[in-house]
Amino acid sequence: MISVYIHIPFCLAKCLYCDFPSTAAEKNIYHKYISALRQEIKLKHQQLGSLFVDTVYFGGGTPSLLPAEYITEILTALNSLFYICADAEITLEANPGTVNLPKLAALKQSGVNRLSFGVQSTQNILLKNLGRIHTFEDAKKAVNAAKKADFSNISLDLMYGLPHQTLVMLQESTNWILHQNIQHVSIYGLQVEDGTPFAEMQKAGTLHLPDEDAVETMYDYVTDILPHYGFHRYEIANFAKKGFESRHNTGYWQDKPYIGLGCAAHSYYNSKRTYNTHDLYEYIRSCNNGIIPVFTEEIIDSKAWMEEFCFLALRTAQGINKNSFQENFHRDIHTVYGKNITELLSQKLLAENTTHLFLTPLGMKLGNAVFEKFLL
Amino acid sequence: MDAKNIRNFSIIAHIDHGKSTIADRLIEQTGTLTQREMENQILDSMELEKERGITIKAQTVRLNYKGKDGQIYELNLIDTPGHVDFNYEVSRSLAACEGALLVVDAAQGVEAQTLANVYLALEHDLEIIPVINKIDLPSADPERVKAQIEDVIGLDTSEAVLCSAKTGIGIDRIFDEIVDKIPAPSGKDDEPLKALIFDSYFDSYKGAIAHVRVFEGMIKPGMKLKMMSTGKTFEVTDTGCFRPSPVNVDELCAGQVGFVAGSLKNVKDIRVGDTITTVQNSTKEPLPGYRGVTPMVYCGLYPVDSSDYDNLKDSLEKLQLNDAALVFEPETSIALGFGFRCGFLGLLHMDVVQERLEREYKLKLITTAPSVIYHIYKTNGEMLKVANPSGLPPTTEIEHMEEPFVKATVIVPNDYIGAVMEISQEKRGTFISMDYIDNRVMLTYTIPLNEIIYDYFDKLKSTTRGYASLDYELAGYQQSKLVKLDILLNGDMVDALSTIVHIDRAQPRGRQLAEKLKEIIPRQMFEIPIQAAIGNKIIARETVRAMRKDVLSKCYGGDITRKRKLLEKQKEGKKRMKSVGSVEVPQEAFMAILKVD
Repeated sequence: MISVYIHIPFCLAKCLYCDFPSTAAEKNIYHKYISALRQEIKLKHQQLGSLFVDTVYFGGGTPSLLPAEYITEILTALNSLFYICADAEITLEANPGTVNLPKLAALKQSGVNRLSFGVQSTQNILLKNLGRIHTFEDAKKAVNAAKKADFSNISLDLMYGLPHQTLVMLQESTNWILHQNIQHVSIYGLQVEDGTPFAEMQKAGTLHLPDEDAVETMYDYVTDILPHYGFHRYEIANFAKKGFESRHNTGYWQDKPYIGLGCAAHSYYNSKRTYNTHDLYEYIRSCNNGIIPVFTEEIIDSKAWMEEFCFLALRTAQGINKNSFQENFHRDIHTVYGKNITELLSQKLLAENTTHLFLTPLGMKLGNAVFEKFLL
Repeated sequence: MDAKNIRNFSIIAHIDHGKSTIADRLIEQTGTLTQREMENQILDSMELEKERGITIKAQTVRLNYKGKDGQIYELNLIDTPGHVDFNYEVSRSLAACEGALLVVDAAQGVEAQTLANVYLALEHDLEIIPVINKIDLPSADPERVKAQIEDVIGLDTSEAVLCSAKTGIGIDRIFDEIVDKIPAPSGKDDEPLKALIFDSYFDSYKGAIAHVRVFEGMIKPGMKLKMMSTGKTFEVTDTGCFRPSPVNVDELCAGQVGFVAGSLKNVKDIRVGDTITTVQNSTKEPLPGYRGVTPMVYCGLYPVDSSDYDNLKDSLEKLQLNDAALVFEPETSIALGFGFRCGFLGLLHMDVVQERLEREYKLKLITTAPSVIYHIYKTNGEMLKVANPSGLPPTTEIEHMEEPFVKATVIVPNDYIGAVMEISQEKRGTFISMDYIDNRVMLTYTIPLNEIIYDYFDKLKSTTRGYASLDYELAGYQQSKLVKLDILLNGDMVDALSTIVHIDRAQPRGRQLAEKLKEIIPRQMFEIPIQAAIGNKIIARETVRAMRKDVLSKCYGGDITRKRKLLEKQKEGKKRMKSVGSVEVPQEAFMAILKVD
C-alpha cells in the first residue's frame, strides 16, 4: 500500500509569500508536462512494480488550473500500472478562483473525491495583499459549487498572522468557515520565507505583520474554537470532523511510504527520500529520455529514521506509539531519549500515557522546541 | 662572506602600502626562488596572514645579489610584523638591522603606522631609504608624498626610489640603494659572542629555533651557548639561514642573520630581545633593550562544551610553542565553568589566537569581553593586578584604582578633525597636540587603553569613512574612578558578563548593555529579567519575554528533509549557546559590551 503525491507546478500568478516550486507558465506547456508525468509513472512502475495506492494527492502550484480531462488522464495512467483502491482518498488542491460547477463535476467524474480549497481569508483586502488571485466571492461560489458537484469531503485552508490582519478579521473568516458544512480545516500561520517578495518587503520595512502577541492570540482563538464546532485537532495544523482526517497527510506523519510524481515532488520509499528536479523543462526532458530526474537522494539511516519517526509522529494528536517505536528500533524509547523526555514532561510540553507520548496544547504551540529534542 | 658585503635591512610601512609585495619582488629578482616557486607574498606564510594581508610573525630571508660593481652581496631582509600589537617585536627586528626601506603608498601618503615605525627605526639609528610605491596608480602623487615625508619625518627624499612592486618598475634601484646607502655591519668574529634574538618559532623536528642577528663573535654547531636573561644553556645543533625556507649553513659570523637550533624544547626559553652568548668566555654586557613579554589585553576563553577543556589546554600549549607572547592560566567562571584567562599583545593578537583555535583546532569557544590590567590599591596597602573584572575585591577594600593609558596618534583629513576630537573626548582622551601634514592633520591624545580596546578604532574608522589611521604606545598608569558593572540574568549574577568601567560611563553603558543583551538572548520558555547593577544598585532593567509560539508550518508535499534541516539548524544554534543557570545564552552575549554604541 502506498500514497502518491502529484505535483502540478503551475499558477496563474505567484503569491507574494510562496516559496513552493511553481511558475506562472504558458498553457501550452500543460500537455507536455502531463505526458512527462505519464512517463514518470511508467519509470516508477519499472522500479517498484505494481502497488496498491490508497491515497492520491494533487498538490501545487494550482492543480485546479489543469482542465479536468488532464486529471482524468493522469489517474487513468496511474491506475493502469498501479492499482488505485476503490476507497482511495483522492485529493485535489484548488484555488477558488479557478473552478466552476462543470469543472468540479468533471473532476468528481474523474475520481477526485476530496477538495482542498485555499480560502485563506474572507477579507478581500487581505487576499489582495497576499497576491492571491481569488476573492471571498469566488470562495463562496467554489464551496457551493463543490457541494452541488456532490463533494462530501471538503477542506478549507485558513491563514492567520497576515499583513494588516486583526483578530476580528480572523474571527470573521473562521466564523464563515464554521458555517459551511465542510469536513476539514487546515490552519496556516504566515511565515516569511527567504527569496519571496514578502521577504523583500520585510527588509524594506513595508510588510506590516501583526506582532507576536497578536499572532499568538489568533492562534489561540482558532485552535480553541474549531473543536467546539466538531473539528477535532488530529494534527498540529489540521482539524477534521470524525472520519474525515486526511489519510494522505496522516501518512506523512506515520512514516508511511509515498511516491512523488512531477517536478519538485518528494518520494519516500525503500529507506530513501528523493527529490525530483524543480526545473520544469529539465523534468520534462529527463522523463522523455527515460530517466527519473532525481535531484537529490537521501538515504534514511537508522538514526535519521528514528529522528523522523519521532518528530513526525509528534505532530499528530496521538503522538508517538511507543510500541511501534520498540518494533521498529528494537529499543525502548526511554532508553534513547529518556533525559529529554523527562525534561519535556516536566516542562509540560509533552504528556505520556501507557501507549503514547504526545504533545500537550502548550507543546503544540512550541512544537519546534520539542521536535528538536528528538534529534540525536 | 666578508662582513663588508653584508646588508641587513627591514621594510617598514603602513598596512597595505605594499611591504609584502616589495619583499616578493626582491626575492624574485635575486632568483632566490624561481617564478614557479613564487607564491604571492611568500613571507606571510600563515593562512591567516594571507587572508588578512598582514604579517603576524616576523620572517627573514637571505638574498644573494650581484651588485653593479660585480661583487656578490648578502642581503638579509628581516620582515617585521605589521601591526601596533607587535611593536616590541618590530623594535627588536629593527635592532637587528643597519637600515630600513620606508615604503609609502604614492596615493595615500604618510599614515600613522608609517610614522610610528619610522620613529622606531630612527631610535635604532637606521639608515632609512624612502621608497614610494604604487606609482602606477592613477591617483599616485609621488611629489606630494615626497614633500610629506620631508615635512613630517624630516627625511631627505631627493633620492627616494619611485617604484611599483606590482609592475616591477624601480625595483632594481632599490637593490642599488640598499648596497650603496646601508652600512655594512661592524662586528668582529673573534670577539665574545653577542647575538640578538628577534624572533622564535617551533619546528617539530628541531625544537624551538631562534632567529638571531650576530653582532660580535660567531656561532657554529657544537658550541655551548647561554641565554643571558635566563641563564639557560644549550648546545647548538644547527645554524642556518632562510632562503626563504630554512637551509643549514656551517656558521653564522659577526654581522650575519640566521637561525640557531639547539637542545631547546620550548619557545619560552627563547625570549625575543634576549642576547645569546657563549657559556665560556661570555660577553660582559647584553645587547640593550630586552624586556619580558607584557600582555596588554586579557580575555577569558572557555570551551562551549565543557568536555573540551583539556583540548583547549592542549591547543593553547601548542600555539604557545610558536607564540611566546601568548600567556594563559586556568580560571573558573560560575557561568562558564572551567576555562583560561589569556593575555595578548593586543586585540589583533587576541583575534588571531581565537581564530586559530577555532579553525586549526576545531574548538568552539566562548570569549569574554577583553579587559586590560587594572592596578588596585587596597586600603591595607596591598596592590593587586586584576585582569578579570570578577577578581575585583569588595569596594570597601579598595583605596583607589589605576588603569593603563596610551598615547594615541591619529592622522586624518582636515575635514574630520572635529569628529576625531569628539570621539577622543568621548573616550576620555586628553588632547596633547595637533600638527598639520599637507591637508591632513595629526592629532595626539592620551586615552585609556580600556577605551581603545572597547571600540575606539571602529568608531574612528566609521566616522572618518575609513580615512583615519591610528597608532598607539603604552603611556603608563593613571588613577581613575572605576566601578564594576554587573549583569544579572533571571536574578543571578553572571560573572562572565561583568566589566570594569569608568564611573561616568557606568549608567549609560549598563543601560545599553541590558538593551543589547535583550536583542541577543532569544525568547525562552519563561520570562528573563536582565538587570545591570553596580554593587547592590540596579541601574537598568530589560526583559526578554517568554516565547509565544514556535512551530513549523504545514508540510509541503512530503518535504520532510527540509523540516529536518530546519530543526537541525535550530539545534546547531542552541549548541552555540551556554546554559547559565536556566537561561540559554548565545556566545556573542559575552562580547555584547563591545557592540553597544
